[in-house]
Amino acid sequence: MAAEQSRLDELRASVIAELPNVDFVLGYARGFDPLHATPITVRTEADAARLIFDATCVQNLTTGLYGLKGKRIGLVVKGCDSRSVIQLIQEKLMERSELVVFGMPCDGVLDLAKVRVRADITQVRGAEVSGEEVRLLLPEGAKVLPRRDVLADKCLRCRYPNPLVFDHMIGQELEPAGVEDTYADLDGFEKLSPQERFDFWKRQMSRCIRCYACRNACPLCVCKHVCLADSREPHWLSAEATLQEKWLFQVMHALHLAGRCTECGECQRSCPMGIPILLLKRKMNRELKAVFNYEAGVNPEAVPPLHTFLMEEDKIKDRGQLW
Amino acid sequence: MSANPYMPMLGTIVETFDETPDIKTFRVVLQDEAAMRAFRFQPGQVAQLSVFGTGESTFVICSPPTRMEYLQFSVMRVGELTHRLHTLREGDPVGIRAPLGNHFDHQAMHGKDIVFIGGGLGLAPLRTLLLYMLDTRADYGNITLIYGGRSPEHLCFKAELAEWAARGDMRVELTVDTPDKLWAHRVGVVPAVLTELAVSPQNAVAVTCGPPIMIRFTIMALEKLGFTDEQIVTTLERRMKCGVGLCGRCNIGGKFVCVDGPVFTQAQLKDLPQEF
Amino acid sequence: MVAKFLATDALADIAAAWARAYRLLAPVREGQAVVYRPWAKDMHPFLGRPPTVSAKEALFPQTENLLTYTYRKDQNDLTRTEVFLAEPLPQEPTVLLGCRPCDARGRKLLDRVFLERGVKDNLYEARRKATIFVSVACDRLENTCFCHWTGGGPTSEEGSDVLLFTVAGGYAAKALTEAGERLLAALPEAPAPAQEELAAKLASPAEPGPAPDLSAAPQAFLALFDNMDFWMDQSARCLSCGVCTYLCPACSCFNITDEPSGMKGKRLRTWDTCMSALYTLEGSGHNPRVSRAHRLRNRVGHKFCYHPQEFPAMDKKPGGQPEFSCTGCGRCIKACPVSVDIRRIVHDILEKGGKP
Repeated sequence: MAAEQSRLDELRASVIAELPNVDFVLGYARGFDPLHATPITVRTEADAARLIFDATCVQNLTTGLYGLKGKRIGLVVKGCDSRSVIQLIQEKLMERSELVVFGMPCDGVLDLAKVRVRADITQVRGAEVSGEEVRLLLPEGAKVLPRRDVLADKCLRCRYPNPLVFDHMIGQELEPAGVEDTYADLDGFEKLSPQERFDFWKRQMSRCIRCYACRNACPLCVCKHVCLADSREPHWLSAEATLQEKWLFQVMHALHLAGRCTECGECQRSCPMGIPILLLKRKMNRELKAVFNYEAGVNPEAVPPLHTFLMEEDKIKDRGQLW
Repeated sequence: MSANPYMPMLGTIVETFDETPDIKTFRVVLQDEAAMRAFRFQPGQVAQLSVFGTGESTFVICSPPTRMEYLQFSVMRVGELTHRLHTLREGDPVGIRAPLGNHFDHQAMHGKDIVFIGGGLGLAPLRTLLLYMLDTRADYGNITLIYGGRSPEHLCFKAELAEWAARGDMRVELTVDTPDKLWAHRVGVVPAVLTELAVSPQNAVAVTCGPPIMIRFTIMALEKLGFTDEQIVTTLERRMKCGVGLCGRCNIGGKFVCVDGPVFTQAQLKDLPQEF
Repeated sequence: MVAKFLATDALADIAAAWARAYRLLAPVREGQAVVYRPWAKDMHPFLGRPPTVSAKEALFPQTENLLTYTYRKDQNDLTRTEVFLAEPLPQEPTVLLGCRPCDARGRKLLDRVFLERGVKDNLYEARRKATIFVSVACDRLENTCFCHWTGGGPTSEEGSDVLLFTVAGGYAAKALTEAGERLLAALPEAPAPAQEELAAKLASPAEPGPAPDLSAAPQAFLALFDNMDFWMDQSARCLSCGVCTYLCPACSCFNITDEPSGMKGKRLRTWDTCMSALYTLEGSGHNPRVSRAHRLRNRVGHKFCYHPQEFPAMDKKPGGQPEFSCTGCGRCIKACPVSVDIRRIVHDILEKGGKP
């Protein structure tokens, strides 16, 4: 606890010291209850006093950064979030010099969907994460959950607990605890027959309300209002809320993120209807890994494989054999 | 008639011609002759024009209620619907929901001098009122039109401009930003002409419409000339869908441009939250 | 009148019976969401917590047909076309089961727009008349609930035709309208213990605690209208998605689009959201609400300033407040990916804009 407090003090001091150099700093404050954090803009020392950092700080604050291009922004990032920063820089959507990054080594954030399966948190009064426990204070009394049961999946396999890009590293760096992603979830899913998979998505997508939180929460969805979902010319999608329209959008979203998605999981976390759309992105990422041995948002110098081509592509003539 | 407020009447385009490279005029009659005979509106009211399969958009009925052979719309090609509309020809069907919105309070203008100040297609809503006044000429004092555009080819209703200038019972001042060799009128922006003419606010009403920037500077010029907020009338444009105050998007504070507008006095606009 | 009884284990049978006479929309669990579905065999209505979506879709569906059109070529002159229009299909009588008092109160707010503002929306009106709301009274308030701030409460009857109270073994049902009475006619009366439990509940309903006085919100909002720093800070975390507006029982804004399919097509009305830049983007490229700050300001302003100004109805309770376009269901808070809290915004408005 003392270590937590001293890290928070360090973050606040570091943010305050940078305030003269930035338009504002994006960080986290306590949200409407102890299990929710909410992003805030820090402009003053008083704002900085509201800063927190803990396992409820789930949001990826790089979302929407592209819209702030031209400003100088301070940003509190976790290891996973820093990969979005790298991806934005790689794609020249942000300049590194426009950012002051406060790196927060992170040993995992909560997946509230997992917490909800184990406890009714609609009236939660308190929450504390310490060691391997999450202690919830509920109206009926305290409830303790094993931390690993309620961490986000991405945290269980995290290999980048320390931000890969930063100006200030706040607190002690952590040893990566995650293991190589085996895509076991995908394997399980892909064992199903095509009809079963189709039925699964039909069931899931039928409750989509087309709010596009998934799109707007994605740090790399930067088309804004020229998004195909809203385009009338060409008229890709009908306004009719049919399964086909909802599904087509998700497929296009996944394709547009192939080789760019860092699996921050904001799309799925933001879905008010609990649709497991990250699975689609993981499928694309596994293919990208298999074909190009590429992982998005790790190396600022790398060129994403679908952003380039070789003039002398070895296998480019293979297609000719089909003709 | 349908109880469905979204069900348009069917109309047929009877005439269409180009005003400028990107503005086209359409003359439309309702297919139901009885409905056409019964159709009433006031100068300044708007219509939702439909091209089925593309959608609807709002346009002012720019012909006056005193001339009911057809309803006239002048349309600039900017978006999806207007592009489609520009491909239509005489005989093609359209949908019309009209009349919608409020109108110019021409009763309150009786006996007054009227100054019309327009830019580009902003002349369209002024045209309906101007023609109405010319058709009931005795009810009004002096009528002045100050009209400008980017260049001579960007002026609308060119044939009528000449007609009006030749009438003798109104004054017409034309100006463009960029003249061509044949241009025999003023050069410069509309607000500057207004200032130069030093139009008197005495017993006068100024009616203005045009691009937002022109309106802003025109209002500043009018205020300098001594026009009060009640003496300045303008029309607003907003993205609209339903046209009947339900879909929500055209609100400025608690007012809806589609039902409480499009015509506002400067005094009314100053009372609204400033979100334009 | 004696309350009727819906035994938990008879709920599916009762729902099935209703579904024979009405289109029945019942809440079911899908993953972690609770959504309304048209009745189907083997469905298990779930009344255990407020549905994820609001009940407005029964009256104002996400998409609906405003008209259909058909072009026909003139056989004598193929360059000529005629167009024929058709009205949408009439509404079926509907029962919506399992909404909450906050949802039912949303009906009044939708009525304000679709029936009372000016032009009557006949499509809405037909649905409104044909729909029976069977609500479940709340025994508890979630962290995001604030129905009591805006004139409601966990057992508010406004807008419901039937109100169900959880009692041992099932639900005690109180009919509040004639339509509700007809719906309950065939059900047995609640047994004595259930009656007693209901009486006890009615005598001491869930106590929501004190609510702030929001009477000054409209004026305070206008005082802050031009303070863009305030709105920038409030909206800095907003994603401009449609979660808050689509889940809101009171939000009623919509878009109209044509969806062609060859020579025919539909004109659709679809939920729209004032949080989207496209909502007000004009053909010329001009946008009067160009930033998230402008758009969030509009959402809050509509609910807590423009609506009370347009419909100056006062809550009749002692110390009553203006009517706001918000039922305090809290869905916009609960489902917001970045936890934007409209209570907090209103609080800040009162604090910063309320001072002279």
